[in-house]
Amino acid sequence: MKHEHNKPLHRYGMVIDLDKCTGCGTCVVACASENNVSVRPDESDKKRFISWMQLYMITNGKEYPYTEVCYIPRPCMHCEEDGHGNPHPPCVSVCVATATRVDINTGIVSQIPTRCIGCRYCQAACPYHARYFNWWDAYFPKGKGLERYLSPEVSVRMRGVVEKCTFCHHRYMRAKRKAEAEGRRELKEEEYITACTEACPAGAITFGDLNNPKHKVSQLIKSDRAFRLLERLNTKPKVYYLSSKEWVRRMADNYLPEELKPVKPLALRR
Amino acid sequence: MKLNRRNFILSLAGGLIGINFTPLPWKLMDDISIWTQNWPWVPVPERGRFHYEKTVCTLCPGGCGIKVRKVDGISGNRAVKIEGRTDYPVNPLGICPVGMGSLQLLYDESLRFTGPMKRGGMRGSGEFVNISWKEGISLLAKKINELRAKGKPESIVAIDGNRKGSTCSLLIERLIKAIGSPNYVRISNMEDTYEIACKLMAGKSSPVSFDLENSDYILSFGCALIDGWGSPGRIINAWSMWHDYNSKEKPKIVQIEPKASDTASKAAEWVAIRPGTEAAFALGIAHVIVKQGLYNKRFVENCCFGFKDWVGSDGQIHTGFKNILLKRYSPDRVSSITGVPKEKIISLAKEFAKAKRPVAIFGKDKGELPGSIFEYMAIMALNALVGSINRIGGLLIQDGLPLKDLDDPVLDSISRRGLRKDRLDDAGTEKAPFTHSIAEAISEKAEEIELLMIFSSNPLYTLPNTKALRKAFGKIPFIVTFSPFLDDSAMMADLALPDHVYLEKIDEVIWPTGLQYPLYGLSKPVISPIYNTKHTGDVVIQIAKKIGGSVAKSFPWSSFEDVVKYRVRGLYEAGGSVKYNADKPVWEMIRKREKPEKGYSSFSDMWKKIKENGLWFDVPDYNKCSFSTPSGKFEFFSHVLFYHKNKLKAMGVTARNDEAFMPHYESQELKVSGYELKMIPYGMINLSSGWMPSPPFVYKTIFDNQLLKEDSFVDINPKLAKSLKLKQADRVILSSPAGNIKVRVNITETVPPDCVYIPMGFGHTGYDEFIRGKGANPNEIILGRRDPVSGHKVWWSTPVKIVKL
Amino acid sequence: MTLLSIPKEKAKDWIEGICFFILGFIGALIVGWFLFPMALYSEHTQPIDFNHAIHLENVEGDTLTEKCLYCHEFYEDGTFAGIPRIEKCEDCHDPESPMGDSLEEKKFLTKYQAQEKEIPWYHYYRQPPCVYFPHISHVKMAKIACKTCHGDHGTSELLPVYQENRISGYSRNIWGKHISGYKEHTWDRMKMDDCAECHTKKGHEEFNSCFTCHK
Repeated sequence: MKHEHNKPLHRYGMVIDLDKCTGCGTCVVACASENNVSVRPDESDKKRFISWMQLYMITNGKEYPYTEVCYIPRPCMHCEEDGHGNPHPPCVSVCVATATRVDINTGIVSQIPTRCIGCRYCQAACPYHARYFNWWDAYFPKGKGLERYLSPEVSVRMRGVVEKCTFCHHRYMRAKRKAEAEGRRELKEEEYITACTEACPAGAITFGDLNNPKHKVSQLIKSDRAFRLLERLNTKPKVYYLSSKEWVRRMADNYLPEELKPVKPLALRR
Repeated sequence: MKLNRRNFILSLAGGLIGINFTPLPWKLMDDISIWTQNWPWVPVPERGRFHYEKTVCTLCPGGCGIKVRKVDGISGNRAVKIEGRTDYPVNPLGICPVGMGSLQLLYDESLRFTGPMKRGGMRGSGEFVNISWKEGISLLAKKINELRAKGKPESIVAIDGNRKGSTCSLLIERLIKAIGSPNYVRISNMEDTYEIACKLMAGKSSPVSFDLENSDYILSFGCALIDGWGSPGRIINAWSMWHDYNSKEKPKIVQIEPKASDTASKAAEWVAIRPGTEAAFALGIAHVIVKQGLYNKRFVENCCFGFKDWVGSDGQIHTGFKNILLKRYSPDRVSSITGVPKEKIISLAKEFAKAKRPVAIFGKDKGELPGSIFEYMAIMALNALVGSINRIGGLLIQDGLPLKDLDDPVLDSISRRGLRKDRLDDAGTEKAPFTHSIAEAISEKAEEIELLMIFSSNPLYTLPNTKALRKAFGKIPFIVTFSPFLDDSAMMADLALPDHVYLEKIDEVIWPTGLQYPLYGLSKPVISPIYNTKHTGDVVIQIAKKIGGSVAKSFPWSSFEDVVKYRVRGLYEAGGSVKYNADKPVWEMIRKREKPEKGYSSFSDMWKKIKENGLWFDVPDYNKCSFSTPSGKFEFFSHVLFYHKNKLKAMGVTARNDEAFMPHYESQELKVSGYELKMIPYGMINLSSGWMPSPPFVYKTIFDNQLLKEDSFVDINPKLAKSLKLKQADRVILSSPAGNIKVRVNITETVPPDCVYIPMGFGHTGYDEFIRGKGANPNEIILGRRDPVSGHKVWWSTPVKIVKL
Repeated sequence: MTLLSIPKEKAKDWIEGICFFILGFIGALIVGWFLFPMALYSEHTQPIDFNHAIHLENVEGDTLTEKCLYCHEFYEDGTFAGIPRIEKCEDCHDPESPMGDSLEEKKFLTKYQAQEKEIPWYHYYRQPPCVYFPHISHVKMAKIACKTCHGDHGTSELLPVYQENRISGYSRNIWGKHISGYKEHTWDRMKMDDCAECHTKKGHEEFNSCFTCHK
């Protein structure tokens, strides 16, 4: 298996359709429960809580009754560049402990908590606030029994390390294991999806290989509605969003007036 | 050789240098660094073999199919994840956040009773002492027998939150009846109002459902479609189909609601209406439809009664619905009531009437609380005008699930005497003749209660005006809870006989709320009970046996499962299917008028499959035009209500003459001077506001302008904030005539200037550190008028004022 | 100034000093090379003295690896069973008719099987919780024989004493048999660098990416 350095074999990416997203938060809960993210008694401290998939609410800022709200679920963007044309995300180049890298097989930005020394440099470098620091040990007090729902597929983090969304990398491993048990090396499109993709009751999240033109994500990102967060930073996130509402797309970055192309609103059959 | 100071130091130096030529420092460094990665207090989940088990979620009446991922470790079986099932017809994709996170409800020990317990300390202190099941059951049976011996069986009250028609609720109702008490009180919700509205207009207390997936125009009267209304797994999936950019079949969704809620923002059109004027708006639309002759003449003429003026059997001329509409609900008047521009009313009416399969849906917010009868009737009438009753894509009135009924319990003389007494909550009496239960009314009659049993509910949290109820609870000598959780009400209990948590037991889904076809779900224990708890269904049977006599005779079964199996035989006799093909959604079969494959050969085969897959459903045949009303038609003029015309005044209906028996608008707002703002509570899909606690996970989805440490927020308009000189996150006291709560303000344009919106689901006094003491419970200060027909508290608007702290 | 030019008394002192220095030096070597390794590991005997050789004779399979896989099986989803559960043992061992008359089998049948209790084995080759090792990729896809990594463990008649690092809590087999870090066989040590070494040797450098083995 020969391939160019820094050109991943697969480039797993995600497309989140904000026209479909209802902001219910199932993705957030599914993520936390899949990835052994600890819940502390006070989760309202948004500077110190941990939520790999974080939900944001935006409004169009208009006066009542012209107000609208929209939700943006935000996983790790799994950037491909640092904004200066270098082929690694902003967080990777600053890591002094080699605890975060771009995985050559999947394009996923990895995070190895046991390797992390907790300097939080990556957290400062990430333009998307997608990295979280463990200010405390995972909250599993003795005798409470909460540790019984922990999944052995993801290691539990300790105090003093940074963690973030891994595109449910263990699910990739799970899918690979299953494929290998059946004697296959390549995964089918639906075999590897993240926990949030699977959980979304609105089917708003699509996940797949951006390198594979047959995968649905590769087709969706060509849509007029597609955009990425803070695109001008040139970090080339592998997470795309879809919205037919201009105000939503406008909020994703500081666009100049002529930069944003109009999209036909959600067509109505009437 | 002498060991002097110098030589000692030299040997140490030798040792120090020498040690560097051994692996010791390097190995030690390595091991210590590894040790720091493995603090003993960081849990290491046990490995094992993975597998999935399919079941049904019974946390809410939504009835989503779920699968539980389990790990079989050396030390036993653990559930590690809940996922949505793709082979269950209710929820083709995922589930809601509360269901997704609820392994914490199973495994968080401090949320639960670990076994039967007796009160240890003061009431409400949460101190309990372990007892045995035998002791607990005989203690309760003794209490009941004492009260029966005193001839006061009616002083025994049960509050039940189980779904109507579920086997558990039937057993509880049966126990209370067999004991001789008329006071079996169910916690009411939107569906109880549906049933009353159906009784009045269609003649039968039937469940109402909506064939949303097949309609092309949905007029939603404040239904929080994407915030947990109906069965969230189903509705959000449908929402996703409707919002598929490339799909050509999209219905138009119009949300009529005062708040720029999630549903309103995401709907094609949002009509900002004054709170509580939905009935007027519906009738305004009806007016335009009638006036312009856009109504469905075939349905109205053949299947409806009371549209045109008619002469009664007594020779009296009655005004028809048509003329009432034309006279009383002109767009001008409706516009002045609702605040919606006249032109909007006219254009929406035209769109609605011209759509092929329009439907108007109702039941405010998540539908967890009862609604207003005349409002529901007005919207049902609107559906009737466009012929959307019992039509594909419309509102469906069907009979309940064909489960077998249990025969009447055996009654002895004590029971017969007790059952003749009036109910404490006035339900079924003159004041509320059509209502089954009015749980909130028991707080006024607490003195008459000697023994209160609480099943699957948390009345001290979910009922309006909890402050008064808490006081009332203090007067009740003995309270028994069957809740598995240390909830707000359970904290006041003297005896706890805890049920299993949902994944540990067999439980039923009785026709998910609003689903357009009959569906019966059966959950199975996917994990063996982890604590010393018992299935309440079994406990009820055991209590009955312990009481003895006629009560024991009424319970011939040995276990809950026996009763379920007996009742399921009714499904077998009715036909239906246990086999679902995920490629063929049931709503599509309804449209194509296809019948599903049965998927079973005999009753035992069917029972086996229902237990395995948790599913029975049927595809109904619509287009029925006969109703069980006295006229045999859908009644704009309700004969049932007309028969009670002498009681209308006692009930509190203000409309007079024929309009009183027809859908009409009357303001239900309570006005108290000094309390000029309206507090409107709202539900959130990511927070449980019912008796189930919210799994701690969901607090990750709550924004810090909804909850900040111990304070929850109320949403207020910037204009109001300005007039009250309030800044974002200021602490205020929200007070109604019923009391005060402390909250913070969130200034947002999503709410109208004269309203204060407050989330439901915060402010628990029970449970553990994740939930307890977080935010404020609006129920504490909710004070509303009673709905004139149902007798339920009007919860959606309370007069309040804001005082800055 | 040379040593000779030092007065005799003083030279004696120096020699004595050097002796003490060497004594300390040697002492440290003894501590570091012999006493430390002895102190570092706690020793545990396995609950049952399992005889791999006997079992190997009695199970089906054309190759040694296949024979190993008879008990140390793969589940349907590709996960590796590791040390089998008693459920697997029960396939052959029946309390009614024991296979032989060994005391160990009797112990198994009475102490564990009859009480439906899993055997608390010590795992020689268990990677720490932050590591993901898919046996299936190595055994099924790369066709590496069990023996390559686990040596003669499968044909042994006695189970070695399990040694656990008192500090890190890991098995000695994982964290290095030789205290010096010297590695003779694959099974002497199974640390990260050993994985990487083999991946590189086999031309699979892409598998040295962190997310191949870490979770």
